[in-house]
Parts: sequence; structure tokens; C-alpha cells
Amino acid sequence: MAVRTIDVRERVMARNDELATEVRGRLRDAGILTFNLVSSPGSGKTSLLERTLADLGEELGISVVTGDVQTQNDADRLARHTDRLVQAVITHGACHLDASQVRAALDAIDLARTRLLFIENVGNLVCPANWDLGEDAKIVVFSVTEGEDKPVKYPRLFEQARYAVLNKMDLLPYVPFDVDRALGLARRVNPDLEFVFTSALAPDGMDEWYRFLRTAVRQGVAA
Amino acid sequence: MHEMSIAIEVCRIAEQQALAAGPGAGSVVAVGVDVGESAGVELSSLTFCLETLLADPPFAGAKPVIRRSPGDVLRVSYIEVDDGRPND
Repeated sequence: MAVRTIDVRERVMARNDELATEVRGRLRDAGILTFNLVSSPGSGKTSLLERTLADLGEELGISVVTGDVQTQNDADRLARHTDRLVQAVITHGACHLDASQVRAALDAIDLARTRLLFIENVGNLVCPANWDLGEDAKIVVFSVTEGEDKPVKYPRLFEQARYAVLNKMDLLPYVPFDVDRALGLARRVNPDLEFVFTSALAPDGMDEWYRFLRTAVRQGVAA
Repeated sequence: MHEMSIAIEVCRIAEQQALAAGPGAGSVVAVGVDVGESAGVELSSLTFCLETLLADPPFAGAKPVIRRSPGDVLRVSYIEVDDGRPND
């Protein structure tokens, strides 16, 4: 019996990355800035987006693709704040979105009316790191009710992210969270990470985030 | 648990390569995968997923051979096929 070896050397992510490149091309051609929002469950991604849609949805032409493991709850929550389609991807158990799901979702979004697209990834700080979705930048969201050491526990996503949102700042008086330590640990993993501080449920807790978004839409983000 | 998604993609590549080489997925006896130290992949989980997938059609019990590499490489490095021909 003859066993022969066939050289393959094909990257496992090659197909996903090709699709991501196609998605990125379509979005850039349409002049749309795209952020991939990643976080652990419960950090406040959906609340952040709900409020952002209500306040800036029309001004910045925001559309959202949400990824949920099993329900359409996040998309239903967001749809109350916009007439722009919020396209839900239900992953049926998968712990991340992939580029083919985003490509399919794009067909259902009115790209001509969109200037800023958020992809709300599945709440998970491990798996989404392997899948490029065609975004301009990843934004990692975490909150003061979590451990300060999140960045060193999940270094890959913090390394890949261009921006970090530290949410629930209004709860700081009630929790033993050391902001300086969290920032120090994050910068140890990724010295270029830029922070934005938010309180998605407090009246003035979104000002810094809105300034960040307006500037990003106007100027784009560095490649 | 993204190891199953990765294992499915490894199997898709292996099947495609086995078909291109002629004898098809049923002839594959081993699938070599390079996994970087910082690729974010848990080896025992990936091995388990690959063993499960490679036991069933279109495969017929191919063995995953995982090699740890530096960096974040994640690729199918080779496949071994038994095309049933006698040794030269």
C-alpha cells in the first residue's frame, strides 16, 4: 500500500479572510466606517448601542448587525431605536461571528443610507479574535463590574483592538475597580490602545463616546 | 469553543486537497495541522473535534497530527493519502 504525502500549507482562516476582504471592500466603496464590537457577556454592548442609536442614529447614519447565540433579543431591543434595519445573525451555538455571516447580513442593510456600521459580536473575549469580519477596527468593551485584569486574561482581543470602551463608570463608587490598574494592564498588552469612558445608563455618560464617534465618522480611522 | 469551527474548516481543506489529488477524502490517512503557540487554539479540544469529524464520511478514520509552532500560525500543512496502489 502506498501512502503519499501531499503538501498543503493552506491557512485555516484563508477562506474567512478572503470573504472579510470582500466585505471590507464593499463597505469602504460605500464610504462606511465599520466597528466590530467585542466584549464578554454583560459588559453593556447592547445598552451602549441602544442609546447611541437613539441619540446619533440619524445624525451618523448608523446601522447595526447583531450576533446572538440563540435569540433575537438584542436585535429586537435595538430595532426599537431605529427604522434602519438591524440584521440579527443567530449563530446557533457558535461562539463568534464569521465573515460569511456578515456578508449575508450586508445584503439586507441599506448601505446607501449608512455611514457607520456596528457589528455587535457574540459576547465572548476568546473566540472572536480568530475571525476577521471586514471591520475597520475592533472596539473591546469592558466594564467596571468586571475584573481589572481582563486585558491580561484575554490578551489576544486586547492586542487586536484599536479602541477600548470602559463602561458603567457611574458604578465606580460601589465596586472595588481600580481604573489606573486596568489601564496599566491594558497598555502592557497593547500600548496603542485608546480608551473611551462611558456610563450607558447615566444622563451624561455618553458624551465622550459621541465625540469619539463623530470624529471617527468625519475623519475615518487609521488603517 | 471555536475549535469545532476550526476543525470543520481543516476538514474542508483536507477534503478539497484529497479530491484535487485524485483519490478523495476516504483515502486520507493523516491530516497535518500547524498550530501556533499564540493562535488561540486549545490543542486537546481541536484534536478531539478533528478525531470526531475525521472518523465519519467522507473521511474514513484519518488521524490528526497536530504540531505546535511558534507565533500565531494556523494552517493545514499536509495530508497523507493511501491511494491503494502497490509500492513502487
